[in-house]
Amino acid sequence: MPNYSTISPFLISNKSKLSRTLGYIGLCLGVVLLLCSVQMYFNVNNFIGEKDIKKSGYDFVSVTKLITDQNMGKDNRFNMDELKVLQSQPFISDAAPLLSNEFRAQISAGNIIPFSTDLFLEAIQDDFIDTVPPSFQWQPGQTHVPVILSADYLEMYNIFAPSQELPQLSESSIGQVNLQLACSGMEGAGNYTANIVGLSNRINTILVPKTFLEWANYNYGGQSSTKAARIYIKTDDVSNPQLVKFLQDNGYHVNKERTRSARIKMILQSFVSGLGIFSIIVILLSMMLFAFYLQLMIARSKDNLKLLQTLGYSPGWLSKMMGRRWIPVYVVIIVIALSLTIILQYFFSILFSYKESISAWIAWPVAVVAVALLFMCIWVNGKLISRELKSL
Amino acid sequence: MKTPTVLLEQLAPEYLEKEKLDRSEVWNKTFGIEKGEHLQIVAPSGSGKTSLVHILYGLRTDFRGNVVCNGKPLKSFNTNELSDWRKDNISIVFQDLRLFPEHSAAKNIEVKRLLSPFHATSKVTEMAKRLGIAEKLLQSAQTCSYGEQQRIAIIRALQQPFDFLLLDEPFSHLDDKNAEKALDLILEESTLRNAAVILVDLQNVPSFKSHRTLQL
Repeated sequence: MPNYSTISPFLISNKSKLSRTLGYIGLCLGVVLLLCSVQMYFNVNNFIGEKDIKKSGYDFVSVTKLITDQNMGKDNRFNMDELKVLQSQPFISDAAPLLSNEFRAQISAGNIIPFSTDLFLEAIQDDFIDTVPPSFQWQPGQTHVPVILSADYLEMYNIFAPSQELPQLSESSIGQVNLQLACSGMEGAGNYTANIVGLSNRINTILVPKTFLEWANYNYGGQSSTKAARIYIKTDDVSNPQLVKFLQDNGYHVNKERTRSARIKMILQSFVSGLGIFSIIVILLSMMLFAFYLQLMIARSKDNLKLLQTLGYSPGWLSKMMGRRWIPVYVVIIVIALSLTIILQYFFSILFSYKESISAWIAWPVAVVAVALLFMCIWVNGKLISRELKSL
Repeated sequence: MKTPTVLLEQLAPEYLEKEKLDRSEVWNKTFGIEKGEHLQIVAPSGSGKTSLVHILYGLRTDFRGNVVCNGKPLKSFNTNELSDWRKDNISIVFQDLRLFPEHSAAKNIEVKRLLSPFHATSKVTEMAKRLGIAEKLLQSAQTCSYGEQQRIAIIRALQQPFDFLLLDEPFSHLDDKNAEKALDLILEESTLRNAAVILVDLQNVPSFKSHRTLQL
């Protein structure tokens, strides 16, 4: 049966080795760059580590008023008008006040964890909370209050607990601790049972259902305040210069670390995206070089290829054979590029060995991209040869 | 009466004058060519001999009428069907030979043999010996004489299975003795396949012993 070696003597290609070699090198370089940029995308995400906070695609940021010597002692809480102004900004998707208790709240944990303390309670609308279990609800008459605690608070508790001879608690066991919540104010007092139903990575406070706080503020504190010391904003880009300027102009304060890390992440991701685009251009240029090489080879062998077709070799068979000839070449190029990416990632992980989230191994999508590129190269090559042969 | 496997239906090249078409026993006529038949078509230069051969081989489509192969018009064959037709059903000796000039005689023959082998390689050497070109097999085709090239083209055409063999002035560069040897070989091979031989030439070739001779 005929195979590629049957027809290879009739294909004239030996005079354009330079363009072919340049094509190989260019393609290999382009693939390395693309695989590295995909890998760097994952590295940047792991490095900055905001997955939990931005898993919904939005940033949730706490905004407070900047306390200065001039406004010290005044009421620095947000009123409804200021909230509306915040909500109306195009770069803010939503804003919600974080209400605080207007009565005295004390909590104790009974005999298991012998401690009792005054504390503050806050409440916000549910869609601003990252973890809202179904049990996080309260209605008047209910003697049990569910609580969502900041994950940072649990961490802090576990740090000081041993020195205070208190037991350390895991995330799963903290929900089993029965708490006693005593509320008192000018208008009355009440005792409740409470337990922690969830931990929040987003909101740094002790959250109770909004319905409870509004009811208790009115019934114990004697007022239904519409003012809030903190407002949470929901934005798709916390590092948006317009947002930063707006907050500065109004004397509002946000967590600088959050905006700084978001900006660094944005810069790094822009760099990685730029690298990705550049690598795609390099790959396209290499593929074009291959296309020129193939066109040249087919043009130079035009008479022979036409005669082979006249003798009974079908264009489909010829293009299949010529296309197959390139498969090992593409496999070698992609394998070399993937190996280089693996090596580079290994050294990268050593360089940042203090950061546990940086893996020594490449992310699986990088391998998927490599395989997809291999199939794309083979497919494009096959199409090119087939088109050229049909045009003879 | 056997069913013809190739049917020529009112075939006429678009460029040929009406006078020539009217005079012809082939153009604008409908007739079949049966397997095993020896058909001779004779015509002077400029009557469309090579055009007819190229039309039957599927190289030209600029004609009126139809060539029906196994019940299907040749014009409607896609590229794969046409390649299969040339690979397994029809073989040809071109007037202009169409060899790969830079490649050896053996390579020219082998590239056709490997496509659809009917004989072993040893048969190629045997045929070359019969036609007196055995010592030319390793020589590049362009360094062979026209007569030698014609014999290479004949041997190449006999390497595949076929039902029809088209010969376009196949002995034009051969002396009588060599032409007779070549014709013997051709007839021997076509009998082996029970194939039709369509010989197109300037004048009658008596040793061909055709069943029909038509004026083009």
